[in-house]
Amino acid sequence: MSEPAAPSGPVTTTGTAPANVDGQAIAITVFSAVKPLGRVWLPLVFWFATTFPKSSGTLARLSFIHFARWSLVRKIPFNGPPQRQEKLNYPHLFFESNFNGGWEEYIDAFSHILTRGMKFFWGTSYGFPQPLPTGPFKTYIKRNEIVASHFYGAYPEATTTMILSALELAPKLDAFKARTRNMSAEAFAEQWRLFLADVQDCL
Amino acid sequence: MSNTSGQATAFMALTPIRPGEEEALRTFLDALPQPTSPLTRLPGTHFARWVILDDWVNDPSQGRGDHLASRYLIFTSNFDGPLDPYLDELCVRLAPEAKEIWGRCVGCPPDATGPQLKAYLLHNKIDTGFFVAAYPHATVAQVKAALAGREQLIAFAVRAQGMRAEDLRSAFVEEF
Repeated sequence: MSEPAAPSGPVTTTGTAPANVDGQAIAITVFSAVKPLGRVWLPLVFWFATTFPKSSGTLARLSFIHFARWSLVRKIPFNGPPQRQEKLNYPHLFFESNFNGGWEEYIDAFSHILTRGMKFFWGTSYGFPQPLPTGPFKTYIKRNEIVASHFYGAYPEATTTMILSALELAPKLDAFKARTRNMSAEAFAEQWRLFLADVQDCL
Repeated sequence: MSNTSGQATAFMALTPIRPGEEEALRTFLDALPQPTSPLTRLPGTHFARWVILDDWVNDPSQGRGDHLASRYLIFTSNFDGPLDPYLDELCVRLAPEAKEIWGRCVGCPPDATGPQLKAYLLHNKIDTGFFVAAYPHATVAQVKAALAGREQLIAFAVRAQGMRAEDLRSAFVEEF
């Protein structure tokens, strides 16, 4: 059992700040300073994960992530005064995720299921404590997390699982409708039973 | 660099907040309602957020700290299709709020709308290194339609329990 991280402010039952929540959806936004090796390493990780999508298949299979991204901020665009030119001593790794469920469960799943991937992405960040045990890692993420000022989801009450099920169901329902259009009532009833058995995992 | 996953695009802009405007901006963003968020006017938006970055997060193990000279506004969006038409739409449909949001940032054009705002956001764009989506080929409209269809089918399946064959067929045809 991992030691829970200390919350950095008010939290909801989902384990995060209210402003990070929209319905079932939760926002996480994290920055971390990156060691010099990360300037070379992280672009390679990004390239590999993008070029060989199966390498990040475990991430895609985490059934509660809608969208996630990593960016390496090496310089900050300059817009003229009164902005002062920013001189970065380190690149900074930006991570955002849009997921459903609870914050604690999310980090637990990341640590236990994506143990190796986590090292690839955060291994060159200062202070990264390794994904396991999860207690120190949760503390690290809490310390590096920034609460959103406004978070929006287009379908806030839908979980990723619901969406994937619905998207799988839609063409099956269309096919069923086309297939049974001219059937007798008895044949339709039989096909209906078979259809429900086929799509029961989507409901 | 990968700003796309399937048909979905990731966008991020990092803009410097004008000195003295931080609290007004924070108050404005905090007060935006979620169900009627201005982002609902961009129907291709799956998820988006505004975040205020006060300073870099530093770790004691760093040789020296890294500190920002300004506070920054982060805007990220995960949306359907290419960036150009999305920003065109954003710079028109979010115009009322854009003045209150990016209008408080250094370098933003005075009226915070149209092509000038688009150019400003593109100038401050931060590319995504790796972007992953659970349903990269589904648009917001497709997701919403699929969810509605699923709900409709679940409700029908419950209602249809025990129906005679003739009634079942009639009810299905009527429903779908």
